[in-house]
Amino acid sequence: MAMIALGALSGVRTHATEHAGQWQEMSWPFPRDGWPAGRAFRCTAGGCDGAELYVRAKRGFCNCDTGVADDDEVDRVTDIDLISPRFTPVAAGEAVSIAAMRGRIRHYDFDMPDGARHAAAGLALSRRCDLLVAVAQGAGEANAVQRAALVFLETQEMKEWIAAALDGR
Amino acid sequence: MFRCVLTAASLVLFACGSTVHAQKQTVGAPPEASNMKQVGTNDLQARSAYQPTIHHQGDRWIAYIGHHGGTDDVPAPVNPMTGKAEPNGTSIVDVTDPAHPKYLRHLPGQDGKYESGGAQMVRVCDGKSLPKGDPNAVYMLRTFGSEAHEIWNVTDPASPVLIARIGGLKDTHKSWWECDTGIAFLVSGAPDWRTRRMTQVYDLSDPAHPQKIRDFGLPGQEPGATGAVPTELHGPISTGPDGNRVFFGYGTNKGGILQIVDRDKLLNGPKEPTPDNLRYPEIARMPMSAFNGAHTTFPMLDMPVAEFAEDKDGRTRDIVMIVDEAILNECGEARQMVWFADVTTETRPMMISSYTVPEASGQFCQRGGRFGSHSSNESMAPVYYKKLAFIAFFNAGVRALDIRDPYHPKEVGYFIPSITSATDKRCIPIEGGERCKVAIQTNNVETDDRGYIYIVDRANTGLHILELTGPARAVAGLPKN
Repeated sequence: MAMIALGALSGVRTHATEHAGQWQEMSWPFPRDGWPAGRAFRCTAGGCDGAELYVRAKRGFCNCDTGVADDDEVDRVTDIDLISPRFTPVAAGEAVSIAAMRGRIRHYDFDMPDGARHAAAGLALSRRCDLLVAVAQGAGEANAVQRAALVFLETQEMKEWIAAALDGR
Repeated sequence: MFRCVLTAASLVLFACGSTVHAQKQTVGAPPEASNMKQVGTNDLQARSAYQPTIHHQGDRWIAYIGHHGGTDDVPAPVNPMTGKAEPNGTSIVDVTDPAHPKYLRHLPGQDGKYESGGAQMVRVCDGKSLPKGDPNAVYMLRTFGSEAHEIWNVTDPASPVLIARIGGLKDTHKSWWECDTGIAFLVSGAPDWRTRRMTQVYDLSDPAHPQKIRDFGLPGQEPGATGAVPTELHGPISTGPDGNRVFFGYGTNKGGILQIVDRDKLLNGPKEPTPDNLRYPEIARMPMSAFNGAHTTFPMLDMPVAEFAEDKDGRTRDIVMIVDEAILNECGEARQMVWFADVTTETRPMMISSYTVPEASGQFCQRGGRFGSHSSNESMAPVYYKKLAFIAFFNAGVRALDIRDPYHPKEVGYFIPSITSATDKRCIPIEGGERCKVAIQTNNVETDDRGYIYIVDRANTGLHILELTGPARAVAGLPKN
């Protein structure tokens, strides 16, 4: 099983800005549901232009011992269904580690209301009984969008926000 | 005028002082109670407790109590009867004399902590009521952690014997077993399904030889589906062949769904888990607010409602009581509470009323641990059925509700047990660490045909056997005590 550890990815640390893109915060675009709203960003430059990233904590939504165990769990818990309930995974997911949390990331295809086909990466990470979920979507190349989103999530500002959100602060 | 202000200020100060006192439970302090009193108690070997099932077994009354896995601090408590550390499993307690419950046996469960281990769920049926059971035997259906369901012969409750196992699962939970038919609705995690918990219907009329009937769930949960995955199952309750309905509750504290299913179509309809076949037995589905789940869906059909007695139609109503489960400590989520749905017109179920403990009545958000509902009693014995319901409310103890008018449920009693040295802490994250408090965590409740109320604690405080007092007894038509 492949493990994407951002800190260990060759070049990511050295050339982070190349892959991180520039993300501008926007308002949470989804209607209120059972979880508090998270943060949403739009990539304005740096190779992920036009992509959007949605991140939020889901507290008390995880098996406290096994964490994010498999791809079915990623399908179930990431917010990709907020974009479209009719999504299709394109491949098996991969293990991933961000900010000392482990989980899985998986790529999906889905149809937008205008008929356009979009790609997205769904991410679910666990910290004991809590989850951090993120979806990066855009019309661009999926791997580039994913790479930029993951590097952005590893920035100090985002790691601090993630820790606070998972604490309920 | 000034005097009035001073008096009011004094009252406020007094109220604040009382509030501070009420926020924290201390070892040695008496229980808090209204119209309920403690009859007996047992520490259950300081194991975190889930489902209690009370069974009239010959001339004895036996309590079978399921446990979660152990804690980080004590993964496998020592059983003083064996002197060995045993993973939490099932406690078997003779409660014939409720003032002096006698611990008979601890039956270890799956290794693992919290919801990943133990043997949370338990149901019990007499062999004489099961179509193919040994008429002299008593059988216990329990979960074994997340990996299996087990059937034990508990004719001698102190010496259970394993007779069948349904394994290979990724999760289990709150199953239902019809004692008159043997049909069991097992909450399982079939490995190929997309959801953690779904239904496996089994014929357990011959408990030694389980026969699978089918898998069931919401369309989208089945193997091979794509797209959004509907909320996972929590537990079903069946009204048997006469009522011909199964009420499924999906969700715990989020996105709850009440699903009303035609039992006959479920058992005898097409079984391949295609979306069409999964929809076939469904009569109606009532989505709840995304804020709330459906932990327990307790049917109370054909209830006469006094307020409607003179109406030409609708004098009796079919009611389902839905209980959410609070998950997060110290009110870290939307309030989980009790809801009443009128399902008389089955295809148009409607929520009609709700109940919660007033938070300010005990400053429960500050006491520590979970505050909110978790579960109700599930006994349909005449002593309380359609008259009183008992709700486990975590740090607010157990609450007795007068539900004779389900449009206006009313609390008529409560009991919050004292904490003990065994009561486990509950923590919340704070910047740079965590903060912990110790409070009662009444997790589940059941009643017996005699009218005793059994509550068990998630934070290791054990079993408390209660009875009603005062006006609450009158609601049930019980004689004064």
